[in-house]
Amino acid sequence: MGNGILDIGITGLLTSQNQLLTTSHNISNADTPGYKRQQVVLSTNIPQSSGAGFVGRGVHSTTVQRIYNQFVVSQSLQIQTQSQALDSYFGQIKQLDNMLGDSTSGLSPALQNFFSAIQDVATNPAVIPSRQAMISNGEALVARFQSMDQRMSQIREDINTQITSTVDDVNSLAKQIGDINHQILLAEGAAGGQPANDMQDQRDELISQLNKIVNTDTVRQSDGSVNVYVGNGQALVVGTQTLSFKAITSPDNPDNLTIALVTGNNTVQLPEDQITGGTLNGVLSFRNVTLDNAQNALGRIAITLAQTFNAQHQSGMDLNGDMGSNFFSLPPPKVISAIGNNPASNITAGISDYSVLTTSDYQFSYDGTNYTLTRSSDNTSVSTAVAPSGATPLTLDGISVTAATILANERFRIQPTINGAKDLAVNITDTTKIAAAGPNRTNAALTNTGTGKISAGTVNPLPLDSNLQQPLTITFHTPYDGQYDVAGIGTGLPATNQAYTAGADISFNGYTFQISGSPAAGDIFTIAPNLNGSADNRNALLLGVLQTKNTIENGTASYQSAYGQLVSQIGNKTRELEVTSKAQATLLKQTENTMQSVSGVNLDEEAANLMRFQQAYQASSKVIEMSNTLFDSILRIG
Amino acid sequence: MRVSTNTIYETGTNLMLQQQDALVKTQQQLSTGRRILAPSDDPIAAAQALNVTQSESLNKQYSVNRASASSSLGLEENVLKQVTSLLQDVHGTTVYGGNSTLTDADRKILATELRSKLDSLVGLANTTDENGQFLFSGYQASTKPFVQTGLNVQYSGDQGQRLNQVGPARQLAISDSGTDVFERIKSGNGIFTTAANSLNLGTGVIDGGSVITPASLTGANYDINFTVAAGVTTYDIVNTTTGVPVSSANPYVGNSTISFDGIQMSIKGDPANGDKFTVSPSSNKSIFKTVGDLITALETPSSGQPGGTRLANSLSTALQSINNSLEHVLTKQSSIGARMNEIDTLESVGGDQSIQFEQLLSQLQDVDFAKATSDFQRQQLYLQAAQQSYIKISRLSLFNYI
Repeated sequence: MGNGILDIGITGLLTSQNQLLTTSHNISNADTPGYKRQQVVLSTNIPQSSGAGFVGRGVHSTTVQRIYNQFVVSQSLQIQTQSQALDSYFGQIKQLDNMLGDSTSGLSPALQNFFSAIQDVATNPAVIPSRQAMISNGEALVARFQSMDQRMSQIREDINTQITSTVDDVNSLAKQIGDINHQILLAEGAAGGQPANDMQDQRDELISQLNKIVNTDTVRQSDGSVNVYVGNGQALVVGTQTLSFKAITSPDNPDNLTIALVTGNNTVQLPEDQITGGTLNGVLSFRNVTLDNAQNALGRIAITLAQTFNAQHQSGMDLNGDMGSNFFSLPPPKVISAIGNNPASNITAGISDYSVLTTSDYQFSYDGTNYTLTRSSDNTSVSTAVAPSGATPLTLDGISVTAATILANERFRIQPTINGAKDLAVNITDTTKIAAAGPNRTNAALTNTGTGKISAGTVNPLPLDSNLQQPLTITFHTPYDGQYDVAGIGTGLPATNQAYTAGADISFNGYTFQISGSPAAGDIFTIAPNLNGSADNRNALLLGVLQTKNTIENGTASYQSAYGQLVSQIGNKTRELEVTSKAQATLLKQTENTMQSVSGVNLDEEAANLMRFQQAYQASSKVIEMSNTLFDSILRIG
Repeated sequence: MRVSTNTIYETGTNLMLQQQDALVKTQQQLSTGRRILAPSDDPIAAAQALNVTQSESLNKQYSVNRASASSSLGLEENVLKQVTSLLQDVHGTTVYGGNSTLTDADRKILATELRSKLDSLVGLANTTDENGQFLFSGYQASTKPFVQTGLNVQYSGDQGQRLNQVGPARQLAISDSGTDVFERIKSGNGIFTTAANSLNLGTGVIDGGSVITPASLTGANYDINFTVAAGVTTYDIVNTTTGVPVSSANPYVGNSTISFDGIQMSIKGDPANGDKFTVSPSSNKSIFKTVGDLITALETPSSGQPGGTRLANSLSTALQSINNSLEHVLTKQSSIGARMNEIDTLESVGGDQSIQFEQLLSQLQDVDFAKATSDFQRQQLYLQAAQQSYIKISRLSLFNYI
């Protein structure tokens, strides 16, 4: 009987000791990342049966268990991977936001200075310093375009660097998870199936870290190991085996790095749309949705500015009496042959209509039957079974493919605007080559007796007529019959017996003018080349008007408002991400608090436990002491 | 709810971090004076601010353009004022030249004086601006517009008018071509011009005439031929454009008014047999030609008859032409005045707009200092509260009592 009491006392003493140990472990790991508080699970020993019923035989610790809620843990992983994605997207876009927010380094001041310089040329067309200022401000504008583009390219480079270092992190984490799987297998096997709590905590922490980088799915195996999958179910860790990520050049765009999974000797690209969470998703979404679009938008402003400006400049005449040349030189669309295309395959793509350019990229493909041109932003496409040629181009949004040597199932990526800002340049260095004047001047003969007046006239839209500067003479019939004859060289000339309508457009040789008032018999009006017209600013005024003219996006946006659109798009998206990433962070905080409230260590609680278990220990000691006393009493009897 | 010790500490720290973040943001707004530090702070206002900035910059540019336009027009106005004054002198000289007491030698002196006036006029027509550009040569600012050879002045410019963008939708002419200012002046009364044949022997002097029935105008040339037979003076009117006589053998009484085909004129004095007067449609006659013709008339000896009558006829024509020129130059001057008025109006509108743009821009992007300062103090208070409560809570532990 006395032995029984001693035994029971000892079981109590031992379990209390376990509990004190576990409590101390909890206290010392209170701040360990991923630690979940542990608890000793107690149960009664098998009682001794006697005639008077079952007599208890004390207590024993069944196991030490982690206290956690698997549902909350999984939820937290989900929320965390989204939160990381949003955070990293926000971090990236904030760079663009800050760049565009700086009112002194944005595009607007350079644009305004350039057009101010044009106005100055319009005011003083023959003054060389004014002309020089226009060229210099043009160069400053180009430099501003380039520096903004360079900043974006820099961000793209940074993303590539980030992808490379992320790949290393993922590989290291995957290897550690594989290793810890192995250790847990060994430890739990040796412990007869008792859970290796601390190692499991470590593994959970590693998975959580991996999840911050890329969203994963985990499946717990019956042997205690955990398999980790990424993307669309591609295995990254299977038991103790690990695969690895690799950064590869994107097959669609050699400027970008993307992710591939290495399995044995195979490297398989992980489609970017399958990476739906983690910092990796954040940077990739930023690059695919925002950065490409922003760089294209900037390029589009540059290209359209250059093209519309050139067109107007070509309609004017410079100080040497020559028609204007291109003021800006602008880059052609960038065409990228997909990796794996036959080296001999190539296509020719150009821009046939600048006003309808979008900020999207395009894909040209051939399936063996049809040639297809697809807008990447929304997959709108046009197809033809006829091979594209100069006479039958395949055109979408002003992008024309005019020649294609392509095999079945090959594809090309067309980036019409990506290089617009980077490769823009001022083509004119000679101040006399600025075409500020109109090509022709009109004249009403001094001998005219009528009140007819002739307008200064305008050049028709490009292409220029080859006889634009041929002199014309308009003579009203004598006696006056409301008709006139036009003499000169050019299409449809000489033209006789033209009916006169006051103020109506008269157009010959690509030049349009009006005669108004009441001309009299024999009145003569002439159009002659504007030789020595150094004070003529008609074309400079038209160039100046381009500043506020809606030339972009189907004639709905000026250069400035297109830039405003870009700023507001980036601003809105940044704002949106700021709000959603904050909301997601709050959600994450709440889930973490819930998780902590279940699994976290509370030191006051542990202090209370410490006292409780200490008292239990002391009580068990008393039991042992008492059994000793009992034994002594029996000895004294003998 | 059970709260872990970590949660207590983290929550306290996070609260302080949040308050600090808000505080720093407000501090940045206060120190820059700007509400929008990056477009994301208010994307719509940020884009709008860009557009307003462009409008404001354009508005400033138009103001610069207007100043330049105003200066060009001012220069032209000044030249025209001097031209007017010269023409008035010429007018005086012409009237004086008709004085019957003058001798050929006196008239020579007058002619010499007029020659120097002609030189002055040509000089004014060849005025250059501050950049050495000719004012009246149309588009060809480096081409001297009027070239003088003796009394003949030739225009080598063109009819181009220089424009200036003085407002968002207004291009204003800031120059007038030499042709328009000095050459496109209708002779006679603007519809037709009368002249006495230089071979006339009588004392008939014709006036400038006028239109009485505009609807009957033909625009043709006419001759009025006088016949004196047996002391009776008659005249025939012939339309020389068609060769058809208008009327024949009209009796002539001194000082008679002659009217036909909607026009009327009067001839004074006694025309001799075979004297002829012509009527032709007005054509353009330059200021220089008017003065040149006057000089020629004054330099031609005209003592006695028929020289006196010829001189009287020439001076009458000259006076009419000078009046026409004066009227033309004054019209140009008032047109310049109107344009300068328009510039002033646009300038005052532009000034108002500039204030509006600045206000709008300020509303869009500037910080409201009162609000920001109050925010700053509130956030400071919150941060202090967070800090103090953190210290209090972190002191609480059961271990303190074991």
